[in-house]
Formats: sequence, C-alpha cells, structure tokens
Amino acid sequence: MPDLVFDDVSISYHTSGRNSRGEVAAVKHVSLELPSGGTLGVAGESGSGKSTLAMSVLRLLPRNATLTGSVRIGDTDVSELSFGRLRAVRWAEASIVFQGAMHSLNPVHTVGRQILEALELHITDRWRTEKARKERVKELMEVVDLPPEKADAYPHELSGGQKQRIMIAMALACEPDIIVADEPTTALDVIVQKQILDMISSLVRDRGISLMMISHDLSVLATACSRIAVMKDGELVETGEAHQICLDPRQPYTRQLASAFPVIGDPASRMNPISRRERPPRPPVEQRHAMTDEVLLEAHGLNVTYHSGRRSVHAVRDVDFTVHSGEILALVGQSGSGKSTLARTVLGLQAADAGSTIQFRGKDLPHKGRQLRAFRGQVQMVLQDPSAALNPKLSVYESVAEGLRVQHFDGNEEDRVAASLQEAELIPPAEYIGAIPQELSGGQRQRVVIAGALAIHPEVLVADEPVASLDASVRGEILALLLSLRERLGLSALVITHDLGLAWNIADTVAVMYQGRIVEHGPTEEVLLNPQHEYTRTLLAAAPSIRDKAVA
Amino acid sequence: MSTAVASAVAAEETDEPPRGVPAIRYFLSKLGGAAISMVMVILLGFFAFKLLPGDPVALMAKERPMSAAQMDQLRAQLGLNKPMIVQFWDYLGNVFTLNFGDSYVYKQSVASLIGEYFWNTILLTGTSAVIAIALGLWLGQRAAWKHGSWFDRITTGTALVFWSVPTFWLALLLLMIFGGSLHWFPTGGMMSPNPPPDALGKVLDVASHMVLPVITMVAVVYAQYLMVMRASLIEEMGEDYLTTARAKGLREDKVRTGHAVPNALLPTVTLVFMHIGGLIAGAVTIETVFSWPGLGKLTYEAISGPDLPLLQGTFVVFSAIIIVTNLLADLVYRLLDPRVRAA
Repeated sequence: MPDLVFDDVSISYHTSGRNSRGEVAAVKHVSLELPSGGTLGVAGESGSGKSTLAMSVLRLLPRNATLTGSVRIGDTDVSELSFGRLRAVRWAEASIVFQGAMHSLNPVHTVGRQILEALELHITDRWRTEKARKERVKELMEVVDLPPEKADAYPHELSGGQKQRIMIAMALACEPDIIVADEPTTALDVIVQKQILDMISSLVRDRGISLMMISHDLSVLATACSRIAVMKDGELVETGEAHQICLDPRQPYTRQLASAFPVIGDPASRMNPISRRERPPRPPVEQRHAMTDEVLLEAHGLNVTYHSGRRSVHAVRDVDFTVHSGEILALVGQSGSGKSTLARTVLGLQAADAGSTIQFRGKDLPHKGRQLRAFRGQVQMVLQDPSAALNPKLSVYESVAEGLRVQHFDGNEEDRVAASLQEAELIPPAEYIGAIPQELSGGQRQRVVIAGALAIHPEVLVADEPVASLDASVRGEILALLLSLRERLGLSALVITHDLGLAWNIADTVAVMYQGRIVEHGPTEEVLLNPQHEYTRTLLAAAPSIRDKAVA
Repeated sequence: MSTAVASAVAAEETDEPPRGVPAIRYFLSKLGGAAISMVMVILLGFFAFKLLPGDPVALMAKERPMSAAQMDQLRAQLGLNKPMIVQFWDYLGNVFTLNFGDSYVYKQSVASLIGEYFWNTILLTGTSAVIAIALGLWLGQRAAWKHGSWFDRITTGTALVFWSVPTFWLALLLLMIFGGSLHWFPTGGMMSPNPPPDALGKVLDVASHMVLPVITMVAVVYAQYLMVMRASLIEEMGEDYLTTARAKGLREDKVRTGHAVPNALLPTVTLVFMHIGGLIAGAVTIETVFSWPGLGKLTYEAISGPDLPLLQGTFVVFSAIIIVTNLLADLVYRLLDPRVRAA
C-alpha cells in the first residue's frame, strides 16, 4: 500500500479582476507524510490552507491555482500525471469524504446512482457486470449501516447523518488505499457526529486504509487520528502525536486551538471562555453583576404545535422555565429538539398553543401593537449566522440604528450607536460605522449583530447558536463578550445551543431539551457534572474531547 | 448500553425523511391554477372588448353606405342590441361550444377560421421554438462552461445583436435578399400556387416556404434561451457536487453534461416556457410579413378590421396556448427536479 507524501508543497492562487490581490499564497512549504495504514489529522481555522492541501491530493484545485513541490501517492507524483492517468488515480487509489451534509451530492440524481457512477468509472474484476455493481452498492450501504433501499433516495430525502454515510460509502466504493476526509462531521449534531467518527475510525482500522482528516476542531481529530498537524496561514505550525498536540502543545497557537473548546469539568474554563484578543479587564468580583432572584421571563405549560395540512408536529411540549435577571441560561439540545421553536415563541415570533403562559416581568406576553413593540425593546435576538442576519447593503451604522428607529428612540441616535458598538467591543466605533458587512470578519459581524441588539438597551438577549458558524478562536471572543455584558451591564441571556462546552463556558443554568420537553434543568455544574437524565448523559458522552486520547 | 439505546432513538428522529406530495394532487393543483387563469382570460375576452372604443357596426358601415335601419338590423343580427348581461351569457355559452360567432370580414364562422389556421401557426412557431430552444440551450451551456473565452464572447455577442434587431426589419431584409434578389426561397405564403401532386413534393414545398420565417423567428428569440442557460450554468459551476464528480475521475465533459447541466436546466425550463408567450407575439409580425396563413396574420387582420368576433377568438386561443404551455412547464419541472416531488 502506498504512502501519501507532501514534499515541500506550496500552493498559490492567482487572482485577477477588480478586487485582485495578485498572487495569494494559500499553502507555504508544507511537508507531511501519511504512512500506509496511518491516520493523520490536519487542524486549522478557515483560511489556514488545510482544505487547499486536501484538494491537492487529487489535483482538484481550481485552474487559477499553481502548485510547487510534489504530492506523491506511493511513487506517483500527482502533480505530474497526465489527465487520463490522473482520472484513473482519482477515487481508485485515493478518495475524498466531502462534507456531505451540505452540497456535495448532486440533488437531481439518486444517491445509489452517484455511487454506481464511481464504480462504472473504475471497473475491476469484482464489478465487471452491471449486476455485480448493483450488488456492490448494496454491500456498501450495509457497510455504512443504511438500509439498501436508501440507494434509491435523492439527497434531499436523507438526513444530514445519512448523507454523510452515503459520502463514506461512495468513498469506499472503489476500495481506495487512502481516504481524505474534509470536515466530515461539521454541521452535524454531536450524537450523529460521534456515530460518523466511530464509523470512519473502525472502517479505516479494519481495512488498513490510510486516513487524512481535515477539521477545525482538535477534539474531533483527536478521536480519529494518531498524528495531528496544525496549520495557520498556510504554514505548518506543529506536527506531533495526537495526545502530545492536544495535551502538551509546544506552540502557543496550538495551545489556543486546543483550549478553544473547553473540557467540561475543567475549573479553569468555567465562566472563563478563552479569548485571543486583548480584553478589557473584568470588573472586580464584588462589582460584577450576577444572577439574582428577580424573575424576568417565565413560561408555564408551554406547548407549540405546527400545523401543515392534516399533519401536525408537536414541537414544544409542556415546558416550564424561568430566566432571572442577570442569569445566563443555556438551552441545550439536538437539532429537531424544539429549542429554536421555544426561542421564537418566547420572542413572540411564533404563536404558542392555547393554555400556555409566557410572562415577562409578571405580565402576559403581548401579541400585537404598541405593547408588543415595547416588549421587543426589552428582549432582543441574536441569530446564528451574522453574514445572513445583516443586510449586506446596509452600513454598520444603519444596521445598529434600525432597531432604535423602530422603537422611536428620541435621544441622540449617533451617540447611542457609538456607545452600543463600544459595548460590543468594536473599538473605536468610528472605524466601523461606515463599513458594510462584507468588509468585516465573521467575529466582527457577530459583534455588529450584538451591538444592534444592545442599542435598544434590552434586559434579555435571546441568542440562537451565536457561535456555531464562527471559527474556534472567534467563538471564545464572542462568548467572552456575552459573559462580560452580563458582568458589566447585568444583561440576562437565553442561549440556544447544541454545544455543551458553551454552557460550561458561560451559563449559570442549563436546560436540556429532548423531543420538545425539558428533561433536565438546573445549575450548570449540577447538570453537566452529575447528569440525571439518560439523554444528558448520551449528549455528554457523544461530545468529543481532547482528553479521550489520553485515556485510551 | 442504555446510552446506545438513547442514541439510536435520537438518530432515528433526524432520519425522518420529508414526505412527498402525491403526483395526482400536484397535477390537480396545477390544473386548478391553469383553470383559474383560463376563466380570467374568458372574462377579459368579453369585457375588454366591450370597453374598446368604436361601434363595430358603424365601422362596418364606413366601407359600404348603410341606412340607419340596415345598421339596426345588423346590430340585431350580431346580438349587439341585447343587454350586456344577456350578451355575456351568450358569450359564455359560445365559448364553451367554441362558437365565437361569424367574422365580420371573412363572413365565415370564427371557429372554422381558427381551426383552419391554427395548425399552420403551430407548425411555424413550433418548429422555430424547437430550433431556437435547442440552439440557445446548447450554445448557452458551451458558453457558460468557458465563460470569458472568445467562444463565449462571440456567441453571446451575436445572440444579443439578433435579439436587439426589430423583427419586422430582419424579416424584410431576409425577404429582400434571399427571396427578392437571389430567388432562393419563396417570398410568402405557405404553398406554391400549383403545388406538386405527390406527398413528398408537397412537404418540400411547404418546407421551402418555411425557411425564411423560421430563420427570422429563431434569430430574434434564441438569445433569451442562451442567456438563461448561460446564467444558470455559471451559477452551478461553483457547486461542491461538481468537485465530487471530478474527484471520482469523471471526464470534464461528463461533469458538465451529467451533473452540471441537469441542475442548470431546472431554472431554465420555467423561463423557456414563459418565453413561449413572446414567441407567439412574434408570430403576429412574422406571419404578417411573410403572408403565412396563421393565427398571427388572422389577428393582424382582425385588428385592422376591426373584426371583433375574430379578435375575441384569436385572443382566447392564444391565451389558452400560453396557459397550456405553462402547465406543461410545471409538469416537466416535476419530472426534472426530484425536490419538487417532495415540496
């Protein structure tokens, strides 16, 4: 079986046109080796060049990319192959597990046909006839634990986890020696993520396939790979055994990456998210605002049912909860657990079923008119993806001021906007006021969204997965900001998340949601360190941890 | 082990596949939509023409002098002296029996006139549409795949020039050069005055009469199909599933025809069918210039009449053609896009 060798690989993109930045170096002098049967993880944030490196294995880079150095599979230099030879190497010798949950499957063909296509391109004695190939597809479906009839499904008919299984089946189809997995579990739930990682690990182990896995999450790599390479800005920062990288990193950058996702139970990260930025000093402990007994928002017997045609979905069932002044409550659950519906209902964006009560400061949630507007001035929302939440045509100033205008704010708008930006740690505000979202980084965009919410001086922030679409280092910054808003301003927050680490980082209390019900609710330490409900335990067990490697 | 149970439960929940709409319900709902459009057209076909200025009888009287008594008699004959509601009721009955009355000008029933000319128009516009769509889509996908290249610039440039040219001007130009000066093709009509007796000869005769009008029609409309296909394929070109296809070892042309084009066709199909309305509007000009005995020419004559019953008839028939093609578009779309089957 061949080794995969990157020998002094540099890749640059030639850009042209209006926003040309000339030659952009994406990968700089990277030398890595994946011995036959080995497992190698490549970690890095977006822009680190890790995906570009993965694409170079099968020479899948866009036409404007130039590669120097060599990428070798065994004795074959991939960069020097003729196109015909290259096509024979693709998939038969090395295949790629793309991020299947997204758009890597063709929406108009059945998944079975897409697997079949790979077999037809690389015919061997085992699947020379049409019948043998159909058999092979069936066999592959069994390997990835899917019922064979799912081969006739179209991608949109499958869940994210099922699509990822199809991607794995497809990658295994032609019995390659090397599999490159590019963010194979991003956008999947923790529980599904664990299933997929376990499956990849066992398939690779049983078949002696070499695995190169790309991820932004060190803990994911730690569960599947024996060696990890860390990349930053196209350069290799550190390479080493997985447990050394995770537990005893040599480089400060690796340390930041390793600490971005906290270990639940580690006192150092409790109420202390890691932020790479210089942060304003936290107020002294005695001056910090903390959770009080004053009840701001409460719900009793809350039910939400969606009706579509004759079918109805009971998304939220008999939920009770309270948010106190100064409390950060993390609502944790898988996708489909009803947590986002609950958030929308609390904001008055979704009607609750009859008999449910939602109260803010002891008064029922208003449904329309002036009262509803006044209520919205008290409770503000922060959405998951800041790039989608901000109108790309509006400047930062307009985005932040919009809420003030809706609320008929009669003070000095400019001062309030500047103060809000300052509170959201966009300093100095003057630098950001004229910018449009496109000119800002992901973290800065999320700060603008938060500033827009803060401008109205709300008492409660409802944040739906506020860091799920952000890079690891930015994640820490935004969480630190949310925590500091509570400490400095006494702001309460209801944070919806699938990420238990986030709860450990900033939440006072945790509510675990499962099938529309809150199955466990209590102080963070109690729920996460001494879980009572089976589902909470499943969630905790499924979350990958960089400590796993040390134990194993 | 209890953990394993819980995780199996959780996985099953996310596995719930979206349910599809049964084909028959989809078909019925689209058919219902088409029926509503048709009702609106029928209503409009009556009231819009009643609102037109000008008394049809007075207009007819302009051509040959008539006494007031004669005019009244004509009104009674045409049913124009009845109250509006009775006229409307008669009209509804007539529409459902496909009886639009007699043409004022041709002195022949509108239904038989339309029946006679209908297939000529279908022959001309149908042939042009098939050629224009095939040409536009084919050039469009080639241009998109190499967008920015010389091939792209020349094909899109040429198409846009033809698109901008006035239809009648191009028609007259072709008529003068290939019909008038070179005598390659007949200058008008659908058949020679003395058509060859055998079937093959007849077909060739009609075909030679079709050449110029078809070329004109194709030239002015194919750009729309080209631009739509080009834009939607360029949209698809950055998609991840194409990288998957390439990684599997597919040849570049197979990546295009097997993966990118089927997806790019989805938005294209809707627009292609919507543009058929434009094609029919073009038929009026082209049939008039080339004296093609079709509904377009009939419409032109009915307007210059004005021949209200005839105009009413062609209006309803043209609208029906467009409604039927849009219905077809919805049905074809469902065949092409598996996601619509679930939506």
